[in-house]
Amino acid sequence: MNFDRILPIMNDRDTAGFFEACKNKTLVYRACQSCNATLNPPRAHCGNCGSWDTAWREASGRGRLYSWTTVCHQVHPAYGVPYTVVIVELEDAPEVRLVGQLNGSPDLCAGMEMQVWFETLEDGTVLPQWEPVEKIQQGKES
Amino acid sequence: MPARQTDDFGHQDRCAIVGIGSTEFSRNSERSVLTLATEASAAALADAGLSPKDVDGIVRCDHDHVTHNDLVCSLGIANLTYQGQVGPGGVGPCAMVGQAVAAILSGQATTVLLYRSLNGRSEVRFGSGTASARDAAVTVGGQGTYDEFFLPFGLMTAGQTFSIMAQRHMIEYGTTCEQLGSIAIACREQANANPAAQMHSKPLDMQTYLASRMISTPLRLYDYCLETDGACAVVVTSTDRASDTRKSPVLIRAVAQGCPPDMRGGMMFPIVMRDSITDLPAYSVASTLYARAGLGPDEIDVAQLYDCFSISILLQLEAYGFCEKGEGGPFAESGAIHRGGALPINTGGGHLSEGYIHGMNHVVEGVRQMRGDSSGQVPHAETCLVTGGPLPTGSAVILRKS
Repeated sequence: MNFDRILPIMNDRDTAGFFEACKNKTLVYRACQSCNATLNPPRAHCGNCGSWDTAWREASGRGRLYSWTTVCHQVHPAYGVPYTVVIVELEDAPEVRLVGQLNGSPDLCAGMEMQVWFETLEDGTVLPQWEPVEKIQQGKES
Repeated sequence: MPARQTDDFGHQDRCAIVGIGSTEFSRNSERSVLTLATEASAAALADAGLSPKDVDGIVRCDHDHVTHNDLVCSLGIANLTYQGQVGPGGVGPCAMVGQAVAAILSGQATTVLLYRSLNGRSEVRFGSGTASARDAAVTVGGQGTYDEFFLPFGLMTAGQTFSIMAQRHMIEYGTTCEQLGSIAIACREQANANPAAQMHSKPLDMQTYLASRMISTPLRLYDYCLETDGACAVVVTSTDRASDTRKSPVLIRAVAQGCPPDMRGGMMFPIVMRDSITDLPAYSVASTLYARAGLGPDEIDVAQLYDCFSISILLQLEAYGFCEKGEGGPFAESGAIHRGGALPINTGGGHLSEGYIHGMNHVVEGVRQMRGDSSGQVPHAETCLVTGGPLPTGSAVILRKS
């Protein structure tokens, strides 16, 4: 039996812009136009300077690996193990971190360069995913 | 923002815990969470030499399924003048002690009951993922939860989140699995002396720890807390009123809550977006708490550190100043936290080996230590640090022998 993947809500007033941009294969993050503070996860008001002048900014799609975990104990039927959750900081704004999912248990090291790619799910939802720019070695899992 | 250095409402030693109560800890209680909460509360009141008629305040945890109304009805409380609620989750119990103190010192209540009750194994298993993941809802997130940035990518449990923190601590400081294992073993040693602990009579050694199955790298089975059915309750009153209770009151030296410097919203998952995920909100909790207590880490004789996972203890050893940042692993491995060490921790076995009552069994065990009747009694202990859940905010209490 096939189980459905978990999908992100697409109509939240603070976060929908992120997933809408993904449909155009564009990675964005929220930032304050007034003081340049990044606002991640996204929100409309800048708690740093008090400005409401905040907007989406386009990211290069490059990043570095901050940390990760390989999930070995399955908790959801649509997420077979092993898989690896990666935490990536953006090249453009290292204080902005995003989450991605790799198959299996690849060899990883902190700081390695990562590249975004866009995964289109059956219902048309697009998720930004990350993969190492250069594989350290051919993984022990395929 | 620097932590507040003052004890603005002058609470030092002015309130005390006068009663503690627990049910048994099991995998299946075969009764409702309301029944468990009632049993633990009745036991705590009896321990204090009080009756439900004496209770005029209740503070509950936001995650508890038992409401104020249910407990008032079930226990037979006649005149409730204060009801409060604190969270989130495991941060609750120590913060609940703080709210009880605030209610008493502001005159809103005289005798406050705190409880935490859960069927954490037979009904709601936290390890099976967040509610939205469990329900296999097609769409998640929104309304400030930010779940949409995490669950679709397979990050869906607390254990996975803490695994990411442990991995980062290994990257930054070279922390090892054996060091995490020494924490699990320290808690198990305490549980083996505690007949009420779920892991009593189940010794754990390093070989068994290392051979246990990986749940989410680098955390193994024994790095995880237990899943428990049970309840704990405590009764707080003013130190003045406590003078004629059945047992020696245990003084609440100081209480504190704290936030991380870069809060990222949501509940748990957004913490992986924080500037440094190896820095807990506990740093600001510790600063405020020690200032309010007029005590420092060197003056803490025993500690009950919230242990959803082994890494939680390691990070708190650093945050509460028992060792330097990054030295939590070697400190744990040195034997300091074990029975007979310089800072014995989780002397009933903690969440890793006694039972998981979401932080409330740590408060109960802290009281036992200060009364001198713990199964893991630390000789001559006069101060005990009790901490709440390490994320997304923090809370802690220092208890003192009267």
